[in-house]
Amino acid sequence: MSSTAAASAPGGGISSDFLPVLAEVSQQLAVSVDLEQTLRESVAFITEHMRAEAAAVFMLSADGSTLQCRACVGPVDIHGLEIPAGAGIVGRTVARRACQLVRDARNDPDFSARVDASTGFVTRSVLCTPLTTAQGVIGAIEIINKRDGGLFDDADRNTLRLLAAPTALALNIARMAGELVEKNRIQRELSMARRLQRSLLPRRRRGAYPVRALNLPAQEISGDFYDFFDLPDGRIAFTLGDVAGKGLDAAFLMVRCASLLRWAGKEGLPPGNWLARANDELREAIPPGMFVCAVAGYYDPARREATWASAGFPPLLRIATDGAVQRLPAEGPPLGILAGMHFPEQRCDLVDAALYLFSDGVTDVRDSSGHTLDIDGVEALLTEHAELPLEARLRHLFRELRTLRVTDDITVLGIEGRPAGEQCVFAHDFPAQPGELATMRHGLGEALSAAGVGTELRQALVLAIDEAASNVIRHAYGGPCERPIRLEVWQDGPALRFDLIDRAPSADPDRLRPRDLDECRPGGLGVNIIDATMDAWQLLPEPGGGNRLRMHKQLRPVVI
Amino acid sequence: MKTCNTDVDGEYRVVRLAGEVDMSWSQQVRAAVLDALKRSDKVAVHLAAVSYIDSSGIAALVEGFQQARGRGQVFVLLEASDAVKAVLRLARLDRVFTLREQLA
Repeated sequence: MSSTAAASAPGGGISSDFLPVLAEVSQQLAVSVDLEQTLRESVAFITEHMRAEAAAVFMLSADGSTLQCRACVGPVDIHGLEIPAGAGIVGRTVARRACQLVRDARNDPDFSARVDASTGFVTRSVLCTPLTTAQGVIGAIEIINKRDGGLFDDADRNTLRLLAAPTALALNIARMAGELVEKNRIQRELSMARRLQRSLLPRRRRGAYPVRALNLPAQEISGDFYDFFDLPDGRIAFTLGDVAGKGLDAAFLMVRCASLLRWAGKEGLPPGNWLARANDELREAIPPGMFVCAVAGYYDPARREATWASAGFPPLLRIATDGAVQRLPAEGPPLGILAGMHFPEQRCDLVDAALYLFSDGVTDVRDSSGHTLDIDGVEALLTEHAELPLEARLRHLFRELRTLRVTDDITVLGIEGRPAGEQCVFAHDFPAQPGELATMRHGLGEALSAAGVGTELRQALVLAIDEAASNVIRHAYGGPCERPIRLEVWQDGPALRFDLIDRAPSADPDRLRPRDLDECRPGGLGVNIIDATMDAWQLLPEPGGGNRLRMHKQLRPVVI
Repeated sequence: MKTCNTDVDGEYRVVRLAGEVDMSWSQQVRAAVLDALKRSDKVAVHLAAVSYIDSSGIAALVEGFQQARGRGQVFVLLEASDAVKAVLRLARLDRVFTLREQLA
């Protein structure tokens, strides 16, 4: 047998017919797609070639604490067996980074008789060589017992060392491939986390809604969050937060903090209590060294006033239409550091002014020479385009920021108050067709919500206007037609005025008399609904023909 | 979005409404309610999925209610949504109709 001859060649020389064996093993390992299977085949090949009874490949764990059997051949299956890194002959091989030839295992101090004892296998001689890569030793390959009962010799040692090289290479490649797969998996999970995070952000509101926000994460996932939502009393709750740190930890804390603030905000608590509650909740379980800077508050469109509390957040900017700027720094500490903290309430009016909240990623943006933008730069960019609508102004700011070096998540939230005096907050023209009413109702509802009208009153006002418009279609125009109807809604602080204008012949004011509600009959309810909902209404002749139904409603300003 | 279907649940014919009931299709609702009363002595109008109702929709329900009462039939409003209840209250009809959360 040529291989036996090779193994027993004198002086540890390796015969020429070993080369095809080495080529075969190297080739198999090089093209391997399934490493476990290839390793098994290579180990079997080596066992066969070296006329051994058993063989195994052990790999060092990532932290170097254990060695695990990744492939084995022989009467005892030890695949998956884990041993402490320094233990046994394998451990010694790895520790000494040198081939170990043990002629009488039972008398070797490092030999572990555990496997033998439990299986009845008898280990006589062992040959074990380290698997070495550029990163150092990654494992070892071990062969046990010559089949002919002889001992391993120097030729066997050299043969095994040669076979170890391609095995080490293959294992290393497999490890890198594994890391790549892991990285891809993490990438997939990150994009899922990102989708989850995005789904937590409030939807963009159309029309004249006074709150707008933009967020640009520096990485896949963000440590920043913002939120705004309507309260039943007509106020708009808003939050903006910035979790210290980046990456998964920060992202998870962000998700937790965002839902916590939303949960506490739904109750309409005063801003100071709102943050205090979130702080106490966060404090109970927050990773060490992490904290959250945040602002939580309310905007009341009817009073054009914002109230908030700030937990270590960068100064808020109040910029008036005339260019006057006010900086409103935080008066409370960041969240999650110490329980029982106090967060003073702050407030300002937003008549003819806008309030901006931005995470420190915005002020930390750097120019080409490494200088940060700072609050002055942000202020300049926001005043630069005061004439733009709020959202366009924020987009302009973001465009400018992205021409610089953004290193952190950037998030901006703006709240714009209406100017003093009466403003038209909704105008809608539609033909006198019942099918047009739904669109009118939806637009009106949005506008009333932006005007600070609470849920219940909003529904009642929409119903009243719908009834008035239905009456115009049914009575003033005598049925559906293409004649025009115009609805205008005007607001001056808490005072709302609705004008519903038609081009029908002058109406008989009698048709607008409420019916007796105690009389139960179908029809004629519309005017009652208008009457019950509005504070006052009157029917005015429109110059040039037509009618103007003018309705008034005073919003009860909520006391914050 | 707006749907009006009638099915049978035990002794009841149930008119199921969904969406915003306004004057653009309240006539259809009225017809469905009156038709149900022709076919059964027990009629329910299911209103859980009604997000909005105006006075013309209420009128269709009032007409059904009156006709049923005149003929000794049973007429109930089933699972009225908050939107519906708010309008019924506004028109002081919440004590006129029989409001139920379930048929049995």
